[in-house]
Amino acid sequence: MSKQKKGGLFQAIKEFVYGVAAHDSARFAMKSRASMEHLFILITMGDMLGVPILPPYYSLRLLPYVVPQISTWKRRMLREKDLTDALA
Amino acid sequence: MVIISLTTIFDQYPDRRYIMFGGKGGLGKTTFSAATAYYLAKQGKKVLVFSVDPQASLSDIFKQDIFGKGPTEIMPNLYAQEIDADKRVKAYQQEIRQKILDMYKMEKIPEEIESYIQAAAAEPAMEESAIFDEVVDIVVKGGYDYYIYDLVPLGHALYYLSMASVYDSWIDKITGLRQQMREYDQVAAVIRRDKEELDEDAILNELLYIKERINKSSRILTDKKMTAFFFVLTAEEMIISDTLKAAALFAKFDVPLSGYIINRVLPAELKDQNIPEYLKNRITMQEHYLQVIDNRFGKQILARVPEMERDVTGLDMIEKVAKEMFGNF
Repeated sequence: MSKQKKGGLFQAIKEFVYGVAAHDSARFAMKSRASMEHLFILITMGDMLGVPILPPYYSLRLLPYVVPQISTWKRRMLREKDLTDALA
Repeated sequence: MVIISLTTIFDQYPDRRYIMFGGKGGLGKTTFSAATAYYLAKQGKKVLVFSVDPQASLSDIFKQDIFGKGPTEIMPNLYAQEIDADKRVKAYQQEIRQKILDMYKMEKIPEEIESYIQAAAAEPAMEESAIFDEVVDIVVKGGYDYYIYDLVPLGHALYYLSMASVYDSWIDKITGLRQQMREYDQVAAVIRRDKEELDEDAILNELLYIKERINKSSRILTDKKMTAFFFVLTAEEMIISDTLKAAALFAKFDVPLSGYIINRVLPAELKDQNIPEYLKNRITMQEHYLQVIDNRFGKQILARVPEMERDVTGLDMIEKVAKEMFGNF
């Protein structure tokens, strides 16, 4: 029982240290990672936004993996709105 | 008339198993591809001759409809194949759709995804890419002693060959980016002290798969040990100058040039016979340009093939051309 308590305390200290020292770095890494994700989809699927990308044949192979990201990615890339959105 | 002779090239370099004939349209690339395939098959080698041209004419020369039917046996050891790009693109689209449906347990492809799939297939480069990919398939699969590419006319062939290097660098770049993303994942995981292993990156795996295939095929196209590239030309001014230009361009893409073959040579003996002025002039002109070719290309000329008395279609005529190219066998 006391062992477990000790473990709990240790765990708490660990999480505290993590929160103070490393949480921001982790967040930063993940944020960079997310931007790269968008860049990656732009490079491979740019055709969807009218950015011509080479070569469509092999881009298609990757399409299945990015299906869930497509709509957030489009939103991010096309955040600026104009009248033509109504046509889409 | 056989000069240094094609036969020596084939005997001396048995590892050159990927054979290509290039040249302007209508000079006899398909004829030479078929005749070379015939010769090699008769030597007991298993040969596949295939066309990378959407308007292929292998069916015509072998007098057999092989379009889109996969490798078809023409005679023992000789197989021919014409790629149906359209069919391949459709099958590929379907494969992608099915994959999406399976991965996300969807009933129907979301509209914007579906329209992207359709738009991508309408790209002008799609057909060539599909053929390119099928050729990669053919080469990667193996099973033949020799592969003979019946190439498209010059400019196009160059495009085809350059595609390999364009794809090569494209795929290198995005694979690099993907690998970098992976590193960020790992960094984040280490900082957070995640216990579970990171999931495999399916996209990275897919990219590496594509990369492997493209690299393999572009390596073959530019490897002097494995590939022999022959230029076909005729004794005419424009053809000679175009061939010189093209040879310089091909050299830029590291295509290993093995030599030149002159086609449609009118028999010189004709001149001594009683022939009309018109023909005499043609023969005199030809003598001049044969001389020009000799000066320009010298020892690289591997064969002179005479103008045949009729169209080259069917195995009998193909054999005749093969004997002009390789000597009696």
